[in-house]
Amino acid sequence: MVRTLLYLLGGLLLGLVIHLVVILILPRISENAAYTQVASIEALNRTTLLALPKAGEANPLHLDPDMSYGLCKLDLSAGPGEVTGTLPLAFWSVAVYDSTGTVLYSTTNRDGIGQTLDLGIFDPAQTRLLAEQKIDISPGLLIVEARTDEVFVVVRLAPPHPSVRDRYEAQLERLACRNIAI
Amino acid sequence: MLVVALGVGFGLSWYALSDGRLFGASQYGPWVTWTRAGAPEPDPYTRAFITRNAALQLGQAEGLTLVATTDSDGRRLDRACRYRVDGRTPTSTFWTLIPVDDHDGSVARPDGPPGFHSSRIARSNDGSMQLYFSKTLSPLNWIELTGDGPFSLVLTLYDTVIFSGVGASETATLPSIIRESC
Repeated sequence: MVRTLLYLLGGLLLGLVIHLVVILILPRISENAAYTQVASIEALNRTTLLALPKAGEANPLHLDPDMSYGLCKLDLSAGPGEVTGTLPLAFWSVAVYDSTGTVLYSTTNRDGIGQTLDLGIFDPAQTRLLAEQKIDISPGLLIVEARTDEVFVVVRLAPPHPSVRDRYEAQLERLACRNIAI
Repeated sequence: MLVVALGVGFGLSWYALSDGRLFGASQYGPWVTWTRAGAPEPDPYTRAFITRNAALQLGQAEGLTLVATTDSDGRRLDRACRYRVDGRTPTSTFWTLIPVDDHDGSVARPDGPPGFHSSRIARSNDGSMQLYFSKTLSPLNWIELTGDGPFSLVLTLYDTVIFSGVGASETATLPSIIRESC
């Protein structure tokens, strides 16, 4: 009886260890994370509209069918990244993701940045150079520090009416997404 | 002992990343949300959830997604029934409410709107709303469901103040989901 209880207790403790290991290593070993899914989309150094799934189709990225999405991928090993352009007069927001799908930074145009998006993304080494004023950037650039060199940016735009969606998406697609020459 | 360990380890991990209420998720009536999913430094459970969910999470500044899989009485949402979403939503610039299947695809009628948008619904004089989801004709604001089986409701609040320090009163304004008939 005592031995059985000890086995159960041992199993419980070992189970808790397995649980903690699973939780901690899942982000490292998963092949189905958001970054893996956007990896197949051609969006390096350019803004690509994400296709919204039709009714009944699977929606692995959990896109909101009422929104329009612009995706751009940046490799900061080639230099700091920037996403810049003018967006339509409607609600929009921007989020910078690292390679684990974690949101590093996000903001909306309700935060006083109006219609113009001017976002700079720097890795830790580039941020140091920036602090030492060894990189020239345009004034007013929103500065985001990324932990990894592989990042992606998603701009969400809310067309006020379905009839203007195409026009708004065309403007969204014109956002510049590139590395800054240093 | 090994069976207990594996059962506890993987079972607890599965529970933590699906239901998750004892770990990183919060529940308000039928609505469940991972409040740290859009944070730059999520806790390990939220990080594992982000990986498993593989969605483009909204950043904290962009908004918050809440998901209901049951009605306010705890019964699984079923497309054979008629539901009324009744009440108010927390303060936000706008919100969308989409009925989805297990693959997050909209289960609304393909040639109609994919769900409700806060700017395109009829409200009562006091600002409250009654939104219907069913396969049969319903009054006021109605989204026609298609297919059979369970579904979920995804409420996305854009630019919301739900957790900005006035949390208790704001989360109390989440709407109820009432099953009217089956």
